[in-house]
Amino acid sequence: MKTVKFSVLVSALFLLIGFNANAQDGNTILKKLDEVMYSPKDMTGNTQIILIDKAGKKKTREATTIQKGTDKRLFRFTAPSSQAGIATLSLPNDVMYLYMPAFGKERRISSSVKSSKFAGTDFAYEDMEAKLFVEKYTAKLLKTEGNLLVVELKPTSKKSSYSKVIVKLDKINYYPTYMEFYDKGNKKIKEATYKFEKIGKYWNAKEINMVDLKKNHKTIMKMSDIKYDTGLTDDDFTVRKLKQ
Amino acid sequence: MNRLAELIVKLKWPIILAVVALTVFFGMQLKNISINSDVLSSLPDDDPIAKLYKNVGDKYGGNAMGMVVLETDDVFKTEVLEHVKQITDSLKITDGISTVTSLTDIIDIKSTEFGLEIGKLVDEYELPQTQNELDSLKAYVNSKDMYSGSIVSEDGTATLIMFTLLDDADKQAVAADVKNKVEQINLPEKVYYGGLPMMMNDVADLIMADITYLLPIVFLLIAFILFLSFKSARGVIMPLLTAGISVVWTLGLMQVLGYQLTMISNNIPIILLAVGSAYTIHVLNRLNQTFDKDRKKAIITAMAYIFIPVILAAVTTAIGFVSFVFGAYLTMIRDFGIFTSLGTLFALMLSLFFVPAVISALALHKKNVSKEQYNNTQKNNFLSNKILRPLVNLLFHHPKYTLIAWGALIALSIGGMFLITTSVNMNEYFKEDNPTRVSEDVMQEKFGGSQPVFVVFKGDIQSPEVLNMMIKTEDYMEQYPEISTTQSIADLVEEMNNAMGEGKKIPTSKEKIEQLWFLLDGQDILSQLITDELDEGIIQSKFASSDSKEMSDFVDYMDKYITENSTEDCQISITGMPSVYVRMSESLLSSQASSLIIAILMVLIIVGLMLRSFSKGVYATIPIIATIAILFGFMGYVGISLDIATVLVASIALGIGIDYSIHVITHFNHSMKETGDINKALEDTIMVSGKAIVINVVSVAAGFLVLLFSQMVPLQNFGLLVALSMIGSGLGALTLLPVILILTNRKKQITVK
Repeated sequence: MKTVKFSVLVSALFLLIGFNANAQDGNTILKKLDEVMYSPKDMTGNTQIILIDKAGKKKTREATTIQKGTDKRLFRFTAPSSQAGIATLSLPNDVMYLYMPAFGKERRISSSVKSSKFAGTDFAYEDMEAKLFVEKYTAKLLKTEGNLLVVELKPTSKKSSYSKVIVKLDKINYYPTYMEFYDKGNKKIKEATYKFEKIGKYWNAKEINMVDLKKNHKTIMKMSDIKYDTGLTDDDFTVRKLKQ
Repeated sequence: MNRLAELIVKLKWPIILAVVALTVFFGMQLKNISINSDVLSSLPDDDPIAKLYKNVGDKYGGNAMGMVVLETDDVFKTEVLEHVKQITDSLKITDGISTVTSLTDIIDIKSTEFGLEIGKLVDEYELPQTQNELDSLKAYVNSKDMYSGSIVSEDGTATLIMFTLLDDADKQAVAADVKNKVEQINLPEKVYYGGLPMMMNDVADLIMADITYLLPIVFLLIAFILFLSFKSARGVIMPLLTAGISVVWTLGLMQVLGYQLTMISNNIPIILLAVGSAYTIHVLNRLNQTFDKDRKKAIITAMAYIFIPVILAAVTTAIGFVSFVFGAYLTMIRDFGIFTSLGTLFALMLSLFFVPAVISALALHKKNVSKEQYNNTQKNNFLSNKILRPLVNLLFHHPKYTLIAWGALIALSIGGMFLITTSVNMNEYFKEDNPTRVSEDVMQEKFGGSQPVFVVFKGDIQSPEVLNMMIKTEDYMEQYPEISTTQSIADLVEEMNNAMGEGKKIPTSKEKIEQLWFLLDGQDILSQLITDELDEGIIQSKFASSDSKEMSDFVDYMDKYITENSTEDCQISITGMPSVYVRMSESLLSSQASSLIIAILMVLIIVGLMLRSFSKGVYATIPIIATIAILFGFMGYVGISLDIATVLVASIALGIGIDYSIHVITHFNHSMKETGDINKALEDTIMVSGKAIVINVVSVAAGFLVLLFSQMVPLQNFGLLVALSMIGSGLGALTLLPVILILTNRKKQITVK
């Protein structure tokens, strides 16, 4: 008798939790996710990008990064030495400027191809887009798994190369820990794992690990020396600054 | 010999048991046997050009690329674009496919005065609808080398959907999947498939078709001929059983040793049924002609007599098959030779050990008839009365006419030999209505051919020197009429440099090139053009003609350039189908010569030793050499070219055809010793051995003629030519050889007198 009662209690508890979690609107969760991802006014730091092919061969690139808001970002590469000094400035509306020191000049690059890869990584332009999650996706909470919320995202744009994205979020702090991307045949093609840490009042993705499951190719993006809200202005994101 | 024969009868049960055990063992391997439809895997590793071609295909992914071709009156219609998109979308989510490129999914890079604009050529979500939009797309596509002639044909009537396969994908499975999916869409346009994976899928179907349709036909045909000849169940079952077992052993052994069935070796069963049954026929024939009340003794006597002739017949045949091992260019031909000759030896062993063991163990003896009765029934049939008897008369009365007739035929044939051409273009190996061949023709017509050409550059790919050399080489290549487009990393570097506002040329400093690489890194196309280590790159191109002469001229044209321009820091080499075909063509002629010389010498030595006379060895080979001369003459006049399969015919004809001469000579010697009368000896030889020869010629020729129904053109020709050679060598052994024997023996008798 005792055991039966106990199990009833347990399932009741689960139901309760489940009910509670389901009660949360998917879009509310997305808004919270956006708050975590995009709340700092600005950020500076170092980025290390490690590309690992299926044979395990590694290529490393390093860059200093500054970012303001969600849509202004400047990368300046420091390694490898042959590409040191190359800088990219991303501005709103898919506009990017590229500066190459060997040529001593910048060029404007505009790209409307979302599915293409970002600078040889396993991230698509679509993944790097500094657009709010609520604008990019509609969300549905699927279930909770321990401390995680499992949410299904459906792209709002039909131009997306994904049919859906499954995200696992920290239940309390709403930062993502895991994402999987499905192609239009509903086949899982990429998966990403995230490591977050709290710096000051913000959560920072200190390491993102993206795997292309088809090609067995991996990209690790690591952030270090992060500083938030140092007072960057729009002047720090101009073509003139790019060339310095 | 008697001892050995006694031993066989004594050990009948262990022999039967061993054969059954081996057959079960090899039979179990058969279910694992697989098909290798990758024609390129057969290119030899010891030829640097072929090896380079395979390496380039593997390294740069060219062998893992397939395409779907849509042909219609005008590609630039919303409806057609819609279909292209449907296929593209469907292929994108197909297992094993890595990337898909098509009119509705291809990156378009425009350089403007501000910089670069990267977009899609066609927005797949908003396909052009109005005539205006469609016209401007057409004009834009035609203006860019990148699209015109490569993704859309220059006349605008065909378009390509290209896909690359993942490294670990099962090429054939993906190809089958692609075909299925495209067929399900049920398009109004004409659809073709190209690329190695699609071709492999077709070839695999052909291989299966040949086995499943031809094998039963050969089986029934030979059973029918055997029944006509022996009129007994034993006479039908035993030859087919031994040939069947030897097929099982051969294919089982192939599997155990890790060989796969190819589009040539899938015909081993058919050939072994035709050839391998002959040895058992000899054994049974001899048993039928041995008259002894004691059945066990009859078997021993018969076996002791037949041992040497049967071994001789099988060994010479095996030599014929194995002789091209030393000269064949394609490894699948080499493997075919080795395993067919092994199969021949298996059939030999079975007919010598297994057949008498089974007959003695299961008491499958013939009905007891007296020698007189037997001879009467044998001598009074159609074959004997209407063919062999008149033949004997003709030979005795007009030996010189016979000789003249043969001489005239040979002289005529020698004239024909000069007309023989070689054919190495693999496309011509398929029948004209075969989908692979049709697709290749369409590719040739619409997209400047499908014969890949690669120029390989070894050196620092980021150095201006190497990149400039690539551009120079591309310019040189495009001056050749049969080359329409070339593609290399140097083109992309020029494009990027242009995008940086420096003009469409290779930058002068390595530093600039390294920075341009930032724009190229991670693009899928890079792996098709350069190695990861940046120490090697290729120019990809296509050659528009499959004419041997033009290919050979082009190879010379390129070789000259390479010798002049290749340096230590920039080593240039060329490969591709034109180069491989030129090598193959050269090797066909040399392998024909070498295999034939090897076969003739080996046969001459063996026959000479066995008959203990060099001159008799020479006599024995005369009819077959005459036959081979006629064979080549026939090929020349009829226009059957020397190809991967027909190059085998002469040696095989020699190996099988020599048997007939051996039978005639041994029988003649035997009778000469008994009677001392040439005429009587020869009459006996033709009436008795002649009959066996005719039956053998008919059954082997019929078996090979079934190959006329093969899916592969070379095998059709192969079957026809071997059958022809069998008839020729049989006829030679029964007419030319007796005349030679008459004339030489008459001379001898005169000198003795």
